[in-house]
Amino acid sequence: MISENELRAGLDRAAYVYDDILISTVLVALKLGRPILIEGAAGVGKTEVAKVLAEVLERPLIRLQCYEGLDESKALYEWNYQKQLLAIQVSMNRKEDTDDDLTRSLFSDEYLLERPLLASIRSEEPAVLLIDEIDKADEEFEAFLLELLSEMQITIPEIGTVKSKTTPLVILTSNRARPLSEALRRRCAYLYLAYPSVEKELAILTRKMPNIDAQLALSVAEAVHTLRANDAILKKPSIAETLDWAAALEALGITELDRDALEQTKGFVLKNNEDLDEIHTLLPEGDCGEDCDCGGHGEAGHDQSHCAHHGHHHHA
Amino acid sequence: MINPTAHTTDITTMHDNVSIYLERISDFARLLRTRGLAVGLSETADAALLLSETDFTDRERVKNTLRALFAKSQAEQEIFDRSFDLYFVTAEQKKAIEEAERAAREEYEKQKAAAKKDLTYNGQPMDLDESMRETYMRMPEEVRERLRQIKDRFKDDIERSPELYASFIKSVFMKSIMEQQLAMEDAAAQAEAFDDPELEMLFRDISDFHESDIPKATALIGRLGKMLNGEIQAKNAGSGHKGKLDFKRTIRKGLETGGSLYRLAYKRRHKRRKKLVLLCDVSGSMIQFSAFALEFIQSLSTISEASRTFIFSEELAEIDRAALVNTETFRKQVKATGLFGRGTNLASALSQLLALKPPVLNGSTMLIILSDTKTVNVKETEQLLAGAKRLSGNIIWLNPIPERKWDYVRSIGRISGICQMIPCSTLSDLSRAVLRIAM
Repeated sequence: MISENELRAGLDRAAYVYDDILISTVLVALKLGRPILIEGAAGVGKTEVAKVLAEVLERPLIRLQCYEGLDESKALYEWNYQKQLLAIQVSMNRKEDTDDDLTRSLFSDEYLLERPLLASIRSEEPAVLLIDEIDKADEEFEAFLLELLSEMQITIPEIGTVKSKTTPLVILTSNRARPLSEALRRRCAYLYLAYPSVEKELAILTRKMPNIDAQLALSVAEAVHTLRANDAILKKPSIAETLDWAAALEALGITELDRDALEQTKGFVLKNNEDLDEIHTLLPEGDCGEDCDCGGHGEAGHDQSHCAHHGHHHHA
Repeated sequence: MINPTAHTTDITTMHDNVSIYLERISDFARLLRTRGLAVGLSETADAALLLSETDFTDRERVKNTLRALFAKSQAEQEIFDRSFDLYFVTAEQKKAIEEAERAAREEYEKQKAAAKKDLTYNGQPMDLDESMRETYMRMPEEVRERLRQIKDRFKDDIERSPELYASFIKSVFMKSIMEQQLAMEDAAAQAEAFDDPELEMLFRDISDFHESDIPKATALIGRLGKMLNGEIQAKNAGSGHKGKLDFKRTIRKGLETGGSLYRLAYKRRHKRRKKLVLLCDVSGSMIQFSAFALEFIQSLSTISEASRTFIFSEELAEIDRAALVNTETFRKQVKATGLFGRGTNLASALSQLLALKPPVLNGSTMLIILSDTKTVNVKETEQLLAGAKRLSGNIIWLNPIPERKWDYVRSIGRISGICQMIPCSTLSDLSRAVLRIAM
């Protein structure tokens, strides 16, 4: 098993910004062979944890994206019906094989379409199995998953029981679109990821973009923090969007987040028409964010009807 | 009940503390269970394994490890952190706690002696149980002083009718003590505050929301609504394979496999959901609750269709669906009806509702009343409610008064015999109640 120091070194090499809670949770999961359940708002980097752990542990990443209606045939295995039918027709023409031989061959590995769960169980080397957005799957699938995770084996009626050769590190993520069952929660080591603090976001920016201007990085981190705290913004900027925004600013050679810079690049950080109107909250007082001589919303007696005349709005 | 401070464990150096953690782990797990965490034997055994096999260098590391194992949600993490910090303390913290406990014990004995003296009338101890005596000790000094003054004022009248005055003085004391008990319950509920402002808001009484909290609460409702929608849809999707065979889809799927009908497709069986008739109290004390409750109900796409909403105080009025889009438009429309802030007369509202043509209530409707039960004409209300129940089959009453106070509101006892009454004083309660309705 990987030691704590090796895990930290690996995460550092992968330019991943982590805290002690993440380290402890991963070590608990590895030591006890438990899945990790990661919850948090969309865009806090839940999926990224699985990707980076696969890299650090040097294991293949097998991903199962959950959605409403996901069933065993899409998650576990499926027989290749078309190929089986062709084989039957070929065999009928040849008339060499007995019926038993044909049936046996039709339900062999050759005709088995391996889906992510089976792939992770049959993997020769231990994998990282990412079960992404488990909250989107149905409860039946959750119950099936629970059984699979506790036994680490499955029974394919035509083949028999397939036991896992290695124990995958299972990572489940949830956006809390619906509460997960107590039974599944109990089985997992739990990690809650919140949006990062300004300091952590700054560390992520400088780690992922080593050449970024220090002042710009700080401005971006603070701006994103302000936007996330704004209740009027429906879709809060994710960490990936912070990085995209910083990259866009850098590409345009912008070093200061002024009105023009915000106007040019706001689409990288806010992805909703109504949210875009809130970008002006990042401007210093006295700058209403529009090309008018209204004096800005920071000034006493600011005439908002004047701004309305110019075709923009002020928000409370 | 485990008293965590009575079991505080002294952590001095990391050298000997792992063995202390190991010794205390099952007791700590028991404490977590009493606080609502589902900590089973396997978790405790795993924790012991980790503690015995891992070389921990500091207390924080132990805390992080045990948190990952024991706490299974954000709310549980908050409870875990508080419990851990209270249970496993450092040597300095333990010394400070012991000192504080000693001082508290001395203070308690002093107060007990003073209370014993106060709660004596005409040389006889008042007939009060131990919990009331305890409550009296915790009352503010000015209230106790006022009670002492009342006792002194009637000191000279005792000889005229000893029984009458003893009973009067006792009733005065009891009233104050019961008020204090209620206040203490409220304070205890508030002391359960969470570090996370969103969680705190979820468990705060809706009536305690300030104007500035409303946007946050509304956003929270939106998110909770989304979550509940997900849960309801997942539940409904689960019942998908129980309907009749869907020939069209089965044949179409069969074409993929050369016409062999390998996999059968089934029609989804649609559960016939009852139409909701919402009756909301918008008297002064209720508007905030009604606005939130309606917004909640509307946020559920699965139940908002085909529902009708009425508001009442002394009269009844129907609310336009468009007004339910958000709290602001709802408030505006309520004000426009002129019903806001008036007294509550549910009997009058119910009789108007039952008189509407075509009838609003029938076998395929469910009546939901949002009100605090503080209405005039309770007797008439009971009769009309029974009539409404006969028509609609089921009435659900969402009550913003916290359940712990129900015993003190007489009308709740009478009405809860007719309707299914659900406590909804917080957004968390409200989400659970709305889920019950939607399912």
